[in-house]
Amino acid sequence: MQKEYRKELKAALANSRIKLALSRAISSYRQNTNNALKKYPHTIKMAEEVLKIKQYAIQHMYDLAQEAGKNIEENKGKYYIAMTADEALTIISKLIGRGKLVVKAKSMTAEEIGLREHLEQEGNEVYETDLGEFIIQKLGSRPMHILSPAIHVPREDVASLFSKIIGRELPTDIPTLVATARELLRDKFIRADVGISSANVVSADTGTLFLIENEGNIRLATSAPPVHIALVGMEKLVPTLEDAFKVSEVTWRYANYAIPSYVSLISGPSKTGDIEKVTTYGAHGPRELHVIFLDGGRVKLAEDPVLRQALYCLRCGGCLYECPVFSLTAGYFGDKYFAGIGTVWAAEISKNIEKASSMAYTCLTCGRCKIRCPMKIDVPEMIMKIRKSIAEE
Amino acid sequence: MGYKGRQLVPSGLTYIADNIKNKGNILGLPASYRAGWAGGIKFSEDKSTLFFAGCGYQYADMLEPLVNVIKTADKMTDNPDLPMLMSSIPRKFGIDATRLLGSALSRQSKKADNILKDAINVLKAIGIEPGYLGQDEPCCGAPLYHSGFQQDYALVVRQAYERFAAAGVRRIISIVPSCTYALRDLAGKILPEKTIEVKHFIEVLADNISSIKLEYPQSVKVTYHDPCQLGRYMGLIEQPRRVLKSIKNLELVEAQWTSGEWSTCCGGGGGFEVVFPDISYSLSINRIEELIATGADIIVTQCPGCMLQLRSGLKGTKRENIEVLDLATLVARAII
Repeated sequence: MQKEYRKELKAALANSRIKLALSRAISSYRQNTNNALKKYPHTIKMAEEVLKIKQYAIQHMYDLAQEAGKNIEENKGKYYIAMTADEALTIISKLIGRGKLVVKAKSMTAEEIGLREHLEQEGNEVYETDLGEFIIQKLGSRPMHILSPAIHVPREDVASLFSKIIGRELPTDIPTLVATARELLRDKFIRADVGISSANVVSADTGTLFLIENEGNIRLATSAPPVHIALVGMEKLVPTLEDAFKVSEVTWRYANYAIPSYVSLISGPSKTGDIEKVTTYGAHGPRELHVIFLDGGRVKLAEDPVLRQALYCLRCGGCLYECPVFSLTAGYFGDKYFAGIGTVWAAEISKNIEKASSMAYTCLTCGRCKIRCPMKIDVPEMIMKIRKSIAEE
Repeated sequence: MGYKGRQLVPSGLTYIADNIKNKGNILGLPASYRAGWAGGIKFSEDKSTLFFAGCGYQYADMLEPLVNVIKTADKMTDNPDLPMLMSSIPRKFGIDATRLLGSALSRQSKKADNILKDAINVLKAIGIEPGYLGQDEPCCGAPLYHSGFQQDYALVVRQAYERFAAAGVRRIISIVPSCTYALRDLAGKILPEKTIEVKHFIEVLADNISSIKLEYPQSVKVTYHDPCQLGRYMGLIEQPRRVLKSIKNLELVEAQWTSGEWSTCCGGGGGFEVVFPDISYSLSINRIEELIATGADIIVTQCPGCMLQLRSGLKGTKRENIEVLDLATLVARAII
């Protein structure tokens, strides 16, 4: 067991702010999800269908990436397949260069490869535009939940952080804090050279990226700058546009939304033919779209009959609200991804075996995450397999 | 894959694993102590229906002080490795296994609850007279499996089944959830040819509930805590409720959001209390608060790990007039 990890968990446990923030979040998550599933009861059946879509897609990731790539090129975008995290960083570095202003949508895949830190080291100015992620960036912390990265920070702490940034005392009411972030980021969207996003799901037959959100920051980050770069884990690919709609609907419903405010479908760069029917790229939106599909160990992971379940994950984040340990420690029980399922990512994608071992024995294997999971991912079964590998090899 | 080996397994768990391999029980105590609870009970000579008591209940009194020692050590030191070195702790604090055992045994004679005895009384009341292997009862090996030592587990469970076969066992009534899961589901993967039927105590009781009259001595509100392996792993969620609802004078109240398949882990999951004693303790407090919120007078469960955790949590909340009972004890008290 890593000493540093143990220390972090102990510190998290002693931090009553985490418990406070999480207990508020958990009860509203359960209430919202319950309401959403009651209003749209077909979601539960649809989740079974989505599992079948994912099971097929995970076995065909590489082919789907190529099919999607061809279609993106037909739509006048560019595509790349990165076998490793380093390859992905190199591709993106070449596209961006140095001294640029970059606005970023929240992306766990970017977190996985350390994209923001990398671009900053190369002399770019990078702004996280998701409110939670913006808070995390300003705190110099790391995300603690896949959808709500600042889940462990209560409003009082956000107020004191923002007060420091603007040099004026702010009240602790949430609307004021949200308005402050909007104020701080507004001109960054307009001035940015590059916008970076991920995608929740990608349909191979049309090369369409689906981006689910509520804030509107993804719309701005992917449409205001002249260049849009999307970094997408290969597990996000599905065969058809129809499949992608189903995956999206199940994802947002288990992420506790009846319907999100925005779903962006992006299949190519911005264009117009309004003057003499001559197609010209870069009308109001980006003139360039670059999509990088990241393998990073996913294709290999898909060969494991038990651990491949980790790739079925829709990243709805529901499991984290049901994890008893997570409710006390937030993402400190985690690596790039969190809790039980995050252990598989630490072991198989980040190849951080020490961390994965520590996490594997932090999981209670209580199995409540599996009850919540729309894909019925058997986390205890995966943890047992990882423990076996640890203990016996 | 290709990970790094045994040193990455928390030493609290390797300690338990070694005890099972070398001494045949989780604490490494002599086999003769196993059957201490059964004094004065008459078991059937015929072992075709066998009562499997399991380490967790049989050594419950010794587990508690040991876990307390680990918790104290974890609090007393910043050295994060210390609590992991479980085997060295008793030495370090001047507590050896024999002393621990001695004090536990002397307490056991005066002790109020004997859950296993209660379970036997309940079985007898529904007309089942099981056999018991006493100090020859094998370990089910579950902690080996859960710690990652699956090959060792396969060995232990194979030996256990050989012992069952030699004793002429055809049907097992097991009472510890994790033993039951190990003997029933996990063993099935290792020994696909096995024919011995394994049931949990609660299945047998629920199936025969109409054969007894139950009435609690006074009017009580009861809430039920589903142990993870019993509820989510084995799906035994309706059975305990059927039993509780059949008891007169008893009102069953459920936790909001967190009952049945949504039950919250007590914090004991698979030896977690010896890996992270502090987190485990906080989890026990969280869980007991969810259960207390039901307004129950009695919190009932049926797992030695959950019992230990919930009682420790209850102590932590300093709430009075609430007790944590094993379902077997509650039912035994209600037999009329």
